[in-house]
Amino acid sequence: MSRPLAEDELSRILALVPWIVAHPARPKTEVAERFGISVAQLESDLDLVLMIGVPPYSPAEYIDVDAEGDTVTIRLADYFRRPLRLDPGEGLALLAAGRALLAVPGSDPRGPLATALEKLEAALELPDVGVAIDAPEFLDAVRNAAEHDERLEIDYWSAGRDELTTRRVDPLTVFFALGEWYVDAWCHRAGDERLFRVDRIRAVRPTGERFEAPESTLGPGDVYRPRADDPRVTLLLPASAAWVAEAYPAESVDETPDGQLRVRLAVSEPAWLARLLLRVGPDARVEDPPELTTVASDAAERIAARYGRAPTAAAKPAR
Amino acid sequence: MSAGPNRVERMLNLLACLLDTRRPLTRDELVRQVTGYPPEAVAYRRAFERDKETLRAMGVPLVVENLPSGEQGYRVPPDEYFLPDLDLTGEETAALHVAVSAVLLGDQTGHGALMKLGGGLGLDGAGTPTTPIGTLPLEPALPVLFEAFRRRAPVTFEYRGESRTVEPWGLSARRGHWYLVGHDRDRDAMRTFRADRLGDDLIVGAPNSFRVPDDFSADAALDGEPWQYGEAAPVTARLLVDAGHDADVVARGDRVIEERPDGSVVVEFVVVNWPAFRSFVLGLLDHAEILEPDSLRADLLAWIGVA
Repeated sequence: MSRPLAEDELSRILALVPWIVAHPARPKTEVAERFGISVAQLESDLDLVLMIGVPPYSPAEYIDVDAEGDTVTIRLADYFRRPLRLDPGEGLALLAAGRALLAVPGSDPRGPLATALEKLEAALELPDVGVAIDAPEFLDAVRNAAEHDERLEIDYWSAGRDELTTRRVDPLTVFFALGEWYVDAWCHRAGDERLFRVDRIRAVRPTGERFEAPESTLGPGDVYRPRADDPRVTLLLPASAAWVAEAYPAESVDETPDGQLRVRLAVSEPAWLARLLLRVGPDARVEDPPELTTVASDAAERIAARYGRAPTAAAKPAR
Repeated sequence: MSAGPNRVERMLNLLACLLDTRRPLTRDELVRQVTGYPPEAVAYRRAFERDKETLRAMGVPLVVENLPSGEQGYRVPPDEYFLPDLDLTGEETAALHVAVSAVLLGDQTGHGALMKLGGGLGLDGAGTPTTPIGTLPLEPALPVLFEAFRRRAPVTFEYRGESRTVEPWGLSARRGHWYLVGHDRDRDAMRTFRADRLGDDLIVGAPNSFRVPDDFSADAALDGEPWQYGEAAPVTARLLVDAGHDADVVARGDRVIEERPDGSVVVEFVVVNWPAFRSFVLGLLDHAEILEPDSLRADLLAWIGVA
């Protein structure tokens, strides 16, 4: 006996009864499809509905279900004539998804989605929910190419390795995740599927070639997923940098006796790690592996050189 | 025997009773009228408690009143239970289905909401499977803030080690994070907060205790960069950025004041939140240099351990 199961069933019945009341004599197949269940499941739900009544439990107080043939009609279900109101999480989910889609460049700001959200907000007294999605310079170009299976040549700044490269890519899908736009593409330079941040594309040139679109295997859920063979690093961070463990998929977080955090993370690119450590400040350092213990101080040295300054001993790795 | 369906039947009847009744009913009255409760007192009390908890978890507005007899009475006011008629057109419902399939929020909550609006997955274009076009993170604090807004109740939480009491006016997602925008009662000013840093204990205060100005917009309140929010005096900074790294910087800066022959540019920023600006600049590694003011140059170098 599991509670979530009972809850799911209850929620479904409380949603489908009012709909059937408002739409009499509809085919069972249509109702079942609408609520994502089989006809057999619908019939078993209706058997339960037949048993619902209120005191004094004379026949007139029972819900009247007519489900003899292929259609279904429900009468006398006054107390279930409307669905249960949306809970805060549900209201938020609808508004957030709707506002996000409206913020995608190309959406119709006065179309049916916009008016649906306005009705929801007004009827349910929902708060103002805004979703802003920036459109990087080459977003339209890559979305277009992905839609028409057009091969592109791009100049791409790889932030992880801090290098600018030119590559031919077959854009498969374009999506946003964690506030950034990504294009999942077959990269001819890497000979593999790669995720590219659209805002780091520095130039786009059409090649005039078409490609046969293979199935895209990466989607919005894959953005921060570390690969099994990405190198692991162990960082020692001050307590004030606890957000690092929240913001990235840390494999383990332990507190050391002196109040620091020991965080283990998958890191595919040293420049990414350097940037992270510089942001946290001089109290952050790499404990392992040894070859990465100087990434932050090396980057700090390069920055210092640019400012015409020599790093002090404090910037050297404290090993 | 299968306890599941019996429990669902019992709870449907319990809910029907609670919605239908004009006066609050006591537990003993409910257990006597609704079929399916065990006869022994210990067992039916436990079963009733569990049913009550499940109904509440589903969002059923169960009202508890103290009766003159000293007992507690229960009922569910229909006007609080019923979803108001939203008067959505078929096109509008279809648009909501597309939005919920296109924007992944980490769980199935959106689909549950659509079920209440009449389902319709996979029907005449309404639930046409849509390739997800994006994801938004869903922070645990958001539904609490949502409900607090609906009740116009202030929330108290711990933020950067300080207790804050805020009237939640709006929520906004940008750059991958959700922000709460509201009136900070202690500071008597509008403030923004990262929703994922609100801490675990959100205390919701008394309802009906504020009004949101008609012209308020969470988006407008947040239209800006992280370094534009803070309590310090604004400082004008000039940043030199190498060619090839300038597009994002130019887009986010206030204005370009110089374009050099080598393709690098000098961009001006008004900075209120210095740590946020420092993080932004450090993200560019050695492809950028703060030219002015000296205080920010020195602070950045000190931060990375250069005296």
